[in-house]
Amino acid sequence: MLAPIAVVGTHVARQVARVGALARFSFSAFEAWATLPAAGRRVARRVFLNQLWFTALQAIPLVVTLSSILSFLVISQAVRELGRIGAVELIGTLMVVAIVRELGPLLTALAVAGRSGTAIAAELATNKVMGEVDALEGMGIDPVHYLVLPRFAAAIVSVFSLTILFDAIAIVAGLLAAFANGMSSARYFDIVLASLAFRDAGLTVVKGIVFGTIIGTVPSFHGLGVRRAATEVPIASSQAVVGSILAIFVCSALFVAVS
Amino acid sequence: MDLPPLSFDQVTVGAQTASVVSLEVPPHRAVCVLGDEASGVGLLGRYALALDRPPTGRVLVLGENLAELPRRAALAFRRRVGYLPAGDGLLQNLTLYDNVALPLRFGSDRSERDIEGRIRVMLAMVQIQHVARLRPARVNEEERRRAALGRALAFDPELVILEQPFDGLTPRAAAQILELARGGESAAGSRRTVFIVGQSLPDGLRARVELRYRLVRGRLEPEH
Repeated sequence: MLAPIAVVGTHVARQVARVGALARFSFSAFEAWATLPAAGRRVARRVFLNQLWFTALQAIPLVVTLSSILSFLVISQAVRELGRIGAVELIGTLMVVAIVRELGPLLTALAVAGRSGTAIAAELATNKVMGEVDALEGMGIDPVHYLVLPRFAAAIVSVFSLTILFDAIAIVAGLLAAFANGMSSARYFDIVLASLAFRDAGLTVVKGIVFGTIIGTVPSFHGLGVRRAATEVPIASSQAVVGSILAIFVCSALFVAVS
Repeated sequence: MDLPPLSFDQVTVGAQTASVVSLEVPPHRAVCVLGDEASGVGLLGRYALALDRPPTGRVLVLGENLAELPRRAALAFRRRVGYLPAGDGLLQNLTLYDNVALPLRFGSDRSERDIEGRIRVMLAMVQIQHVARLRPARVNEEERRRAALGRALAFDPELVILEQPFDGLTPRAAAQILELARGGESAAGSRRTVFIVGQSLPDGLRARVELRYRLVRGRLEPEH
């Protein structure tokens, strides 16, 4: 009779231990900022720029497409439907609360997690399987300094920047949608800017940094967690993207709860 | 008498047949320990650099037990030892040039110009200048092994640990790899101390490896 409870208990204990290991790993990534040797900064900067190119710049078309289509559809419908009941001013709240504050950071983070999170996990897992991580350790280079820190920093900068881009494009696409549905641009900006508070912008920035931190650490943790079998690489990628998405949604809910 | 650059004291290796290894590697000598895969002989190099910890016993490298050092200190100490891991361990997204340069760029305060000079010397020494701008996937096994050795010797260490360094190489290439690792001759023997682990040693190299051991049925037996 106790067997099912033992199975559940073992599973829960394993998951708690895993979360603890992830927390320790995240701390070591933060700590790596301070412990990176001066000589290694130049090399780490080069890896950081490569990662930034892949994670931020190459993701711009995807983010622009997502943002513009989402905003255009939502604002088009809203202007039409809210106009019928004389509540067209509510598109400001809709734009700021739903798109800029909530969906902007969330969709940006999901896009980056799906695109770069899997790539980071697969790359680091391959590094591990090919013995490159041990080779780094063997020549006195901390893999956290060389492999994790640049990706971690690039993920934070990328998600933060892409979130701002997403929101800016959303506002412009919303303008086009409102204009197409008979609203003047001056009125659109009056409504949107009246709804936009400094707190919303601040929250968007904080979310970008938190989600970037998740994408910088969770895939790296899973990637470096493999042992020496190539079959573990796709498993690590899958766990990385699922773990990242889960953590992003949980954090998003926590932001709503505390704000 | 010189302190042995590397010593294993009652170190347990092997999964199926546990062996207890006690061995002192004398300075300026090439020493190899051979054994089949199940013997766990491949772990000796990893234990020496504290990449893994032995269940029992201790390993001293240049008089230091790396397993007891704090992580940062252990990382810094490893730069004093050359390490050629099994399967070369080259970073696949870097060229051979950048692979050889990596330890110098990350672990020394030398200027890029100094590093470039040193790398040119290393590339010429291991004879891979013609493929230095290619990535590991685009060169053959011998060139990869030469690049990995160049990287291991970047800091001109006094002790070099080689894991399965001759697998898949021609006898001529294997002999060159060994001579590069030895670093020439001094009055006391080879300039560097070389510790080799693997499953076999090419016949042509036996005369150049002064001490040879084989791990058989849990015991370390000298080969004659």
